[in-house]
This record gives sequence, structure tokens and C-alpha cells, in this order.
Amino acid sequence: MIRFFIWFVALLALLFGLELTPWLQRWFVEPWTGALAHISAMLVTGFDPGVTAAGKILRSTTSGFAVSIEAGCNGVEATIVLIAAIFAFPSPWTHRLVGLAAGVVAVQGLNIIRVISLFYLGQWNRDVFEWAHLYVWQALIMLDVLIVWLIWVRTLPRIDGHDAPPPPPTSGAPVTA
Amino acid sequence: MQSGAAELANEAASVGVHLSPLTRFILAVLAWLPATFAIWYFAAPILLWPAALLAEVAGRTGFADLVRIVEQTRAVVTFTTTLKPGQAIAGGIVTVDVNMLLYSFGLPLFAALTLAAREGNRIRTLLIGYGVLLPAVAWGIVADFLKNIAITAPLQVVSQTGFAAWEREAIAFAFQFGSLILPAVAPAIVWVLTHREFLERMRSSA
Repeated sequence: MIRFFIWFVALLALLFGLELTPWLQRWFVEPWTGALAHISAMLVTGFDPGVTAAGKILRSTTSGFAVSIEAGCNGVEATIVLIAAIFAFPSPWTHRLVGLAAGVVAVQGLNIIRVISLFYLGQWNRDVFEWAHLYVWQALIMLDVLIVWLIWVRTLPRIDGHDAPPPPPTSGAPVTA
Repeated sequence: MQSGAAELANEAASVGVHLSPLTRFILAVLAWLPATFAIWYFAAPILLWPAALLAEVAGRTGFADLVRIVEQTRAVVTFTTTLKPGQAIAGGIVTVDVNMLLYSFGLPLFAALTLAAREGNRIRTLLIGYGVLLPAVAWGIVADFLKNIAITAPLQVVSQTGFAAWEREAIAFAFQFGSLILPAVAPAIVWVLTHREFLERMRSSA
């Protein structure tokens, strides 16, 4: 567990440091955030045609309300935490990659729900929006990461002998070579 | 302690619905969260007082030439600095308000996870988690203050701080880490470390 913890913190610091570099911001974080806004708009227009996305901004053409998806709300940090947790845990590489793919879908899926819910909460009540935005959804996204990681850990093959067949009986019929 | 989730799980069992331990745990966490968030919000002035104190100690020892007074009003910490806002406001001083709730929402998350796990002495675990998480909250408070005076303040204020370029970069990183990563990740780490047996059982039940 201590080894996992050290690897987790090291990977987390490395990935977060990389995320803050101007190069990754320009070529990954900004396009990712823009895609998030467009996917959110695409989903919402199914029941609310007056919603458009421009860059990282989701806007209602009817009410004029808009939300800008900023750092911390694009799910990138949550994904970084999940990557660090999966890669720090001792497991086969195939399991890591499968867990990562499924985990990113789960985390980003919930993050899209967060963006859409905040978009409508903001049009309904600004105080509720602030509460949900600053505190509740932050905790829920991290809970999502933790749950995804717990589910992934449960699917891993045991490597500490727990899955090994039981030892032969010490009494009874003699074992012959 | 009994939660709505426990009642929900019992109800599910009574109608023949089989829930896995992980599902029961998730339901219990979701049931505890509203209660822990409410307690955290209303008790914030008391709960976060030690974090404000830690931030004050850090501010007064690490940046004694910049920090004059640190005061707490409910969940807000106000740093009164030695900095001048500029010649336009004669005799004025720069103050920075920091909302401690922004950096402490991990406390109710940790409490909900701990209460839902129903593992060992939960009061002791809650106290350990609270004590371990307070420095993380203080980190966010101090980093927010420093970001305000060294990066986002007007140029005439920033120039008085005397921070070198690399120090401002370090402050920016500390603020980003303290606001985007630490408040959410720290409770999860502490919870995992204090619930190793629970996690092992959860894994064995797969």
C-alpha cells in the first residue's frame, strides 16, 4: 500500500505538472474542453434546441445564460487522478489499459452530466448553481473516480496467492511421485 | 449510527433484491453525503477554525513581511497585508478574503465515505481524517492568498511583494494544485489508507 501511495503521488504530480504546460494546454486541454462543450450542446439540443456551443462556452440562445467550462470542470484533473491510481496499482498492463478506457468513459460521462446540470441550475437559481458548482459536483466527481477505481480493483486477478488452488491435504492418502 | 442508505439496503433485502457490497457501499455514501455536507456547511466556522489558524501561522512565519493580521469571519479568512493599493488610495492597505469552503469540501466527502464503510471505530477514523486533512485545507487558503497578491493583483501591488519570477511560477503551481487536486484527492487518499481492510474485503467479495 505504501508503494502504491508513493507511485500514485509521483504520477499525480508528474501528470498534473504536464497538464499545466502551455503546449499541453494548447494542444490537448483546450480542444478537449471545446469538445466537451460541443458534446454537451449536442446532447441538450435533443430536448432544448436553443443551446449552442462556441469554444468552451455553452450558451442558451433563449435566456442568454452561458457557462464557460474552465479548469477543474473539464474532467481532465479527475482523469489524471484515475490514471495515476490505475497505473500505481500493481496489475497486468492489459487490465490497466482496459480499466483506463472504461474509467475515462465513466468519468467523462458523469462530467458531461455535471456540465449540463450546472447549465440548467445556473438558469434556475444562481445560489444553487454556485453550491453545486463549487462543492457538490467536485465531491461527486472524485467519488466517481474512487468508485471506478474500486470496481476496477475488484476485477483484477489476485497475485498474492488468494486465487491459487488450496494446498494438498497433510493427512490421508500419501502423495506418490 | 444508522443512515437512510442502511434503511434502503434493508428494504431492498426485504423485497428480495440482492445488492453487492460495493453497491450497498455506494448507496450508503450517497445517502450520507447530504447530511455530511449540511453539517460541514453550518459548522464550518468551528470546523475550519484550526485550518484558519494553520494558515495564519504559515502566513506569519513564511511571509511575515507581507502579512499583518489574519482574521476569520465565519468560513472566510481575511489577510490584512502590509501592501499599499497604490497612490490613488492614500493610506489604504490591501486585504485578501479567502473562502475556506472552496478548499474543504473534501471533509464531508471523507466523512460520508467513512460512515458508509461502517468499519471499526468510525469516530476515531473521522478524527484522524479531520486532523490529516486540515493542513491540505490550510495549503489551499495560503496558496489562494499568495496567488491574489503575487499574480492577480494590480501591477503596483504585485511589484511590492518582491517575488521573483520563479517564485510566482511556484505560487501559481501551488494554487492550481491546492485548488484543483488537493481538496478532492486528499480525502480519497486518507480514506483508502484508513480503510485497507475494508478494501481488501471488498476485493475478496468480487
